[in-house]
Amino acid sequence: MSEINRILQKIDQLKPMPQVAHKIMAIVQDPESSMAELSDVIVYDASVTANILKVTNSAYFGLTKKIETVHQAIVFLGMDQVVDIAFMASSADNLVNAQDGYELNEGELWKYSVSSALIARELAEVKASDKAHMIFTAALLKDIGKVILNQYVADSSEEIHRLVSEQEYTFREAEKEIIGIDHAELGGIVADKWKFSPEMIEIIRNHHVPQNSTKTEFETAIVYMADTLCMMMGLGVGSDGLSYRFHQETVDRLGLGEKDFQKIIVNFGEKIGEVEELMQTT
Amino acid sequence: MNLIVGVSDMKVSNDIESTIITYSLGSCIGVTIWDKVARVGGLLHFMLPESSLDVEKARKNPFMFADTGIPQLFKATYTLGAKKQRMKVVVVGGAQVLDQKGFFNIGKRNDMAVRKIFHRNNVIIDYKDVGGNVNRTVKLNVKTGEVLLKVSGRGEKTV
Repeated sequence: MSEINRILQKIDQLKPMPQVAHKIMAIVQDPESSMAELSDVIVYDASVTANILKVTNSAYFGLTKKIETVHQAIVFLGMDQVVDIAFMASSADNLVNAQDGYELNEGELWKYSVSSALIARELAEVKASDKAHMIFTAALLKDIGKVILNQYVADSSEEIHRLVSEQEYTFREAEKEIIGIDHAELGGIVADKWKFSPEMIEIIRNHHVPQNSTKTEFETAIVYMADTLCMMMGLGVGSDGLSYRFHQETVDRLGLGEKDFQKIIVNFGEKIGEVEELMQTT
Repeated sequence: MNLIVGVSDMKVSNDIESTIITYSLGSCIGVTIWDKVARVGGLLHFMLPESSLDVEKARKNPFMFADTGIPQLFKATYTLGAKKQRMKVVVVGGAQVLDQKGFFNIGKRNDMAVRKIFHRNNVIIDYKDVGGNVNRTVKLNVKTGEVLLKVSGRGEKTV
């Protein structure tokens, strides 16, 4: 068996996305769907329900009243927020562990994922995207490939770092060169195996090379931007550091000026404390 | 005791048993200062160069910006008996994403802001490790003034 095939087999070791996540995704994509339908689907999954309530009552949302049912959570936070929280609750298990190959301690990849997802959602709203859920979820799961590639990055760490420090490779390019597959490509394969939409797969696969997306050029650009901002803020950054490329044309395409860029940093920086609390509850 | 400095945060101490730490700087910059006579140390972790971006937020949290955070860092150590002319000053962070140029290169702009402020106030930087595409973590030992610098993919060194 080739090395790549051995890596691909490891996808089965991930905890599968719970059924409820797929059902929620289907409801979200149906313009006719109602609050009651969403609530009905969620309450059948006890662990996701428990997580939603914990997160809803965390300091991040600062609600004064204690929320006790999913229905109440939807009333107070809105469907959009509850859907995002449900995806967070469905993804945490795969993303919380330490990833030594990337020098990420326990919780750091999770911090990176949640921060990227929150920034991506904010950007999606600013840009009035009607695909905010897809953008949030893709940003949340974009580094799922790292969980599988971790061991291989650890084994080839010296060679990868040599390419990055001496030959101006990005970390992703070095993964591809040395291991034969990179974490974004692998993430796309995971998303495909999990039966995500072709759009989600494309965003995850191209989150470092947004210009390669054809169906989701705009959505990928937003996820890319959120990822870049997280790196700059040092949120859950590991041994890959900031060794990825800046695509000025993507920033321009989103119509983000220098001030907008800094304002996103300031706004997110202001609530990092609450975000950390939010993560500890999931 | 470990004192953890978050993003847009600052801590000072004269407890010689303490270590002041900030993790994962990215494009942000960490400034450590230490007075060997008073055995007082401080660490600032700021995100952006200039408070003019958002004066209201700078008033609420001056540690977000270089121009409001650095003066506060020095002042806080003075209240514990430190003196500017005895300070050991270390500046780290300010990394950038590859090919990041001009205004979007926040790491470089942060570095320039520090230089400008220190030049204007006659502060000499004793050690500096700024720029590149690496992520840095920094720890200041308040007893010895040693600064442990951890750089992603490069390991640790003491300065």
